[in-house]
Amino acid sequence: MTMGQTILRVENIHKELGGKAILNGVSLSVRKGEIKVLIGPSGAGKSTFLQSINFLVMPDQGRVWLEEKPINPTDKKALYEYRQQVGMIFQDFNLFDHLTALANVEIGLIRVKGMKKNVARGRAMDELERVGLKNQVLQYPAQLSGGQKQRVSIARALAMDPKVMLLDEPTSALDPELIGEVHSVIRDLAIRGMTMLMVTHQIRFARSLASEIVFMENGRILEKGPPEKMLSDAECSRTREFCSKINEMSGHLC
Amino acid sequence: MKELIYLFHDVFPALMSGLWISIQLIIPSVIFGASMGIIAGTLSVYGHPLLKVASKTYVTIFRGFPLLVQLYIWYFGLPRIGIYFSPMAAAIIGFSLCSGAYQSEYVRGALLSIKKGQLLAAHALGFSRTKTLLSVILPQALRRALPGCGNEIIYLIKYSSLAYMVTCIELTGKGKILASASLKYTEIFMIVGAIYLVLVSVASLLLNRMETWLSVPGFEQHRA
Amino acid sequence: MIPQGLTAIKEGLPYLLEGALVNIAVVLGAMALGFALGLPLAVGHVYGNRKTRGLIGIYILFFRGIPLLVLLFLFYFGLFSLSGINASAFTVAIVVLGLISAAYQSQILRGAILSLPEGQMKAALSIGMSKKKAIFFVILPQALRLSIPGWSNEYSILLKDSAVAYALGVAELMARAHHVASRTYQHLYLYLTAGFIFLLLTYLGTKGLNVLYKKVGIPGYLR
Repeated sequence: MTMGQTILRVENIHKELGGKAILNGVSLSVRKGEIKVLIGPSGAGKSTFLQSINFLVMPDQGRVWLEEKPINPTDKKALYEYRQQVGMIFQDFNLFDHLTALANVEIGLIRVKGMKKNVARGRAMDELERVGLKNQVLQYPAQLSGGQKQRVSIARALAMDPKVMLLDEPTSALDPELIGEVHSVIRDLAIRGMTMLMVTHQIRFARSLASEIVFMENGRILEKGPPEKMLSDAECSRTREFCSKINEMSGHLC
Repeated sequence: MKELIYLFHDVFPALMSGLWISIQLIIPSVIFGASMGIIAGTLSVYGHPLLKVASKTYVTIFRGFPLLVQLYIWYFGLPRIGIYFSPMAAAIIGFSLCSGAYQSEYVRGALLSIKKGQLLAAHALGFSRTKTLLSVILPQALRRALPGCGNEIIYLIKYSSLAYMVTCIELTGKGKILASASLKYTEIFMIVGAIYLVLVSVASLLLNRMETWLSVPGFEQHRA
Repeated sequence: MIPQGLTAIKEGLPYLLEGALVNIAVVLGAMALGFALGLPLAVGHVYGNRKTRGLIGIYILFFRGIPLLVLLFLFYFGLFSLSGINASAFTVAIVVLGLISAAYQSQILRGAILSLPEGQMKAALSIGMSKKKAIFFVILPQALRLSIPGWSNEYSILLKDSAVAYALGVAELMARAHHVASRTYQHLYLYLTAGFIFLLLTYLGTKGLNVLYKKVGIPGYLR
């Protein structure tokens, strides 16, 4: 794997919600082509961290750089520009419920990128075909399975030509038999060199894909390292404990 | 100065006497209306098939006719077949029957939301049908119906102003008379409006209190 | 007595039905005005800052707390003539019912907006939409659909309230029923007829909105 320049760099993110500190100075950087996987117990702040990277949650403190350009979230135009370049995949898909699969992918192209309708249509069709949903383009979200919904949401993000993608537990809301189809789409992205930061508890999947695993707890990064080391003999005892628990669970699942 | 004297000497006492009439209209209407609502709502769920039809017809007509039309029927219509009501009686009858029809829908919905197991449990203990209804089902259902019925009571307070249309001179009527005499329409109707706002606010406060007071821990009153 | 009543109804019916058209015009006007005002009020009530929300709250309290009849008198005899605008009773009825309806419609819409999952807004922002675009292209298309049952209810309330326009002398159905009744002395029959016409109009309107609701429904989405 060839690692390029740093795509995304976040430093010292702090966030308090309802008087409780959720993030206590989290820093991280992702280089081109790299895939980092965030793990940690629930309540560790992983989701909040991902959402504060593209300012869906406004951090109280901390800075973000995209390709070494600092992002100023108070500059609305720059913020919208930045968010287009950071694809976000949500745990519960968040497809626009009133739009067909095709329109879900088109809407960003038309309303944000200002593309002509027919151009947008072609592009959206390509993206949907890429995630294997050529035959479902006119279905509404409520008519799709969870796995199909998540693949539409990936197509929607890809259509914006993101430089990096943030995936927040992309398969945790799925029935076990539907996880595979989403994993294979993500794997396909990895092969084509997409830079990703992903939260997941699918440890086998993470092991096969990640360039680095990052362990988070109580709003802090406790340890990070290559998957083999992190999953078998981590230095920090909390990491070891968590990984052995999660290994056990995935053993049962798979 | 002249204005102030007018305000305190003429307007204020007149509006207060009007308010008193309004309250005399509202309180019996709330009591009769709630009773009608409970009776019609209960009959529409647990009544004899004929009674079900009767209560359904009642609800359709009294919710479907504008209240003003109903008041005119009571006050101007019935005398033609020899039935006479005073303005106040006609207004109270009109308000009660109309409000009852609306409230019965909340009672009905609440009754239908009570789980069947409650009924079975009471029967298993040897309760008769009527006793089950009175001591097990209704106490639960009425708590659930309370927010909706409370809303109807607020509506009733506002619509009590229509009594003026059948010559029952309550708050709105007094305001109209004062305003026509002094030509100070804006000022007087602003004051009248403010009095209604106070009335409505006090009523919703009381209803909220009642809801809290009657609430049973863990018993969800507001169904989604 | 009964034959006389029926004759009065028969003769008065065309005149009454013309009056019903006035009610329909008032309701449509008020619904439209209420929507035009209620939509920004709802959006402001959900997404506005503290001050905006406070002002909208006061508007809603005012128009939901004061009786229709008082507002009609206040606007017709008071505010409109005070400001020198020469408006007909018909216009004032539409304006007042519209202002009241805006308060109610804003609450219907607000409820619909708040019932949407938070993720809809987040997803829209995540692909680079501005908040305005997200509200316009993602939130409102869903919220408006969800509001249709509420509008159906609002329509039936407005229709019945439109009878109160009679108090200003608008020649709507109720006014005409009273007029014919005074001439023929068949009050009971004419009021009952007026009542049933209102009932029928309510039924037709809510049926129509129900058809619309099904028609714009998103497959598998709306109950």
